[in-house]
Amino acid sequence: MRRNMILFLLLAGLLALTVWTTSLGRVGFFTMAPPAKLLAALREHLEIVLLAELCAVAAGIPIGLILSRRSFRRGAPILSAVTSIAQTVPTLALVGIFSILMGLGLRSAIVALGVYTLLPIVRNTYAGLVSADPAVKEAARGMGMSTPQILWRVEMPLAMPLIMAGIRTSTVLNVGSAAVAGMIGAGGLGEIIMTGVSLRLVEMVLQGAAPTAALAISLDRLLEIVAGRAVPRGLRRPLRREDFGRT
Amino acid sequence: MIELRDVTKVFPGGTQAVDGITLVVHEGEFCVLLGPSGCGKTTTLKMINRLVPLTSGTITVGGRDIQKLRATELRRRIGYAIQEIGLFPHMTVAQNIATVPRLLGWRKAKRRARVRELLGLLGLTPVDEFLRRYPAELSGGQRQRVGVARALGADPAILLMDEPFGAIDPITRERLQDEFLRIQREIRKTVVFVTHDIHEAIKLGDKIALMKEGRLIQHATPSQLLAQPADDFVRGFVGTDRTLKALRLTSVREIMDSGPLSVRDDDSLAAARRAMDRLERSFLPVVGEDGLFLGWVGRNSVLGPPSVCVGDRITPYAVLGSPDMPLNEALALMLESATGNLPVTDEDRRLVGLVSFDRLFESLRQIYVEREAGEGSP
Repeated sequence: MRRNMILFLLLAGLLALTVWTTSLGRVGFFTMAPPAKLLAALREHLEIVLLAELCAVAAGIPIGLILSRRSFRRGAPILSAVTSIAQTVPTLALVGIFSILMGLGLRSAIVALGVYTLLPIVRNTYAGLVSADPAVKEAARGMGMSTPQILWRVEMPLAMPLIMAGIRTSTVLNVGSAAVAGMIGAGGLGEIIMTGVSLRLVEMVLQGAAPTAALAISLDRLLEIVAGRAVPRGLRRPLRREDFGRT
Repeated sequence: MIELRDVTKVFPGGTQAVDGITLVVHEGEFCVLLGPSGCGKTTTLKMINRLVPLTSGTITVGGRDIQKLRATELRRRIGYAIQEIGLFPHMTVAQNIATVPRLLGWRKAKRRARVRELLGLLGLTPVDEFLRRYPAELSGGQRQRVGVARALGADPAILLMDEPFGAIDPITRERLQDEFLRIQREIRKTVVFVTHDIHEAIKLGDKIALMKEGRLIQHATPSQLLAQPADDFVRGFVGTDRTLKALRLTSVREIMDSGPLSVRDDDSLAAARRAMDRLERSFLPVVGEDGLFLGWVGRNSVLGPPSVCVGDRITPYAVLGSPDMPLNEALALMLESATGNLPVTDEDRRLVGLVSFDRLFESLRQIYVEREAGEGSP
């Protein structure tokens, strides 16, 4: 309850900041982004985030799943190292590399962000599947479930809380990183921030940054609700900090 | 029927877990695999449903070689319960129990009826409430009951149980064992049951297969195992108090005096004195008109005018035995009471017999005599 209140206040503050900066109209020589442009940028931003997240989920869950299989488990530390290193590369550099490889624009931004936010999903999927109680798996096998049946009916549902936590982490990460996409002409709120930075205009930077933060908070809360529904009832419990891992 | 022939298991790395075991478990028989930890009993159990592949030898279940069946099909025909239970935490009790029926493609109505039947059988009532619960909402004992119900889900002819009552507190364990015995009398499954607890083995098993270092040392009924241990290892394992353990195998009913041994509360003291002289006893139980047990009268308390009724001189008495009570419990009750006699009553407190120390010693001596004779013969 108290948490909801804080989130609400924070969100209200960010929205007020957005409205205020937009209402400034002109600051010195420069014109702030008009409301229509701001809304368009917000929509683009959301699009980038959702598409990149979709890519990350579509690739991350299967990768985590394959790594958790017994014959691949030896490869898990290697891949986890690789994805960890990938995350230490600054977003800026990663987006830059992909824009060189795939050209400027939306497509390379989405792929770069997808790769960048893969890690939490892969890691949590892997952890969720590996940490399933061995007794539960043995019981499943002993009762005559086939390997795919054990995966879909037992292991995946049991891993669901962790997988959902991974998706949440990765989405929040994505919202922030997507701002960089503005740099390679993919649009979004990043474009407003970049313009503000190059004009040395704090108000314009805030005009882009405040709605970005608001978006991250709202998506996180939304996913928390969705995740609550996706997790089987018998497993529902408050998430702990360690469920989210390092980010 | 389960038949193991020269079954051997060598784990990768060279550990010989099971070494040439040959064992037959007949239809409806409760066979306990007993032994210290690391003796290969669990490995043996798991080879029967192919959770552990066998290195050599053959196992047949119901006359069919298990190697020729698909592992999943074999397992669906065999109930499996383990110490850690392994209930699916994301499924309700009903879904857990219906696991194998679902795998076998039973219709929903049939599954539902079966789940209700099993919940009732295992005393998980009210059924409607337990159906919907999740494993996290159950106590340890209740979880284990659900585990057993799940193993019985598709009504398999065979049940494999790996220390299913091992992780439960002693009181609940006793109760679950008693209940499982009652259920087993009703459903007559072929059971292979792993335990390291000699008491549990004696209490539950029709036959006990005692194992050591992967080998079968003795396969016998509990009383044979206690009376004629095959070697020093068995003797050591069953313990020096094997005579006391043997008491557990005999029920009060088998040795109690059920002749006319009581006086009525409306009998006169003189009649009671005559009865004591005739029966050569210094204590007699008193029953009411309806046969209900009321207490005792002793020789000292029946002295008095003949017009007084026995009913006025009763020493009330709370310790009662029942016909199905094992002798070890009866002995404990007799040691607690001063009279050295245990009245045996039915569920309605009607007197049905009497156990005395003399009677108990006599029956113990018989066990010994039989045992000496048994050890003498080849």
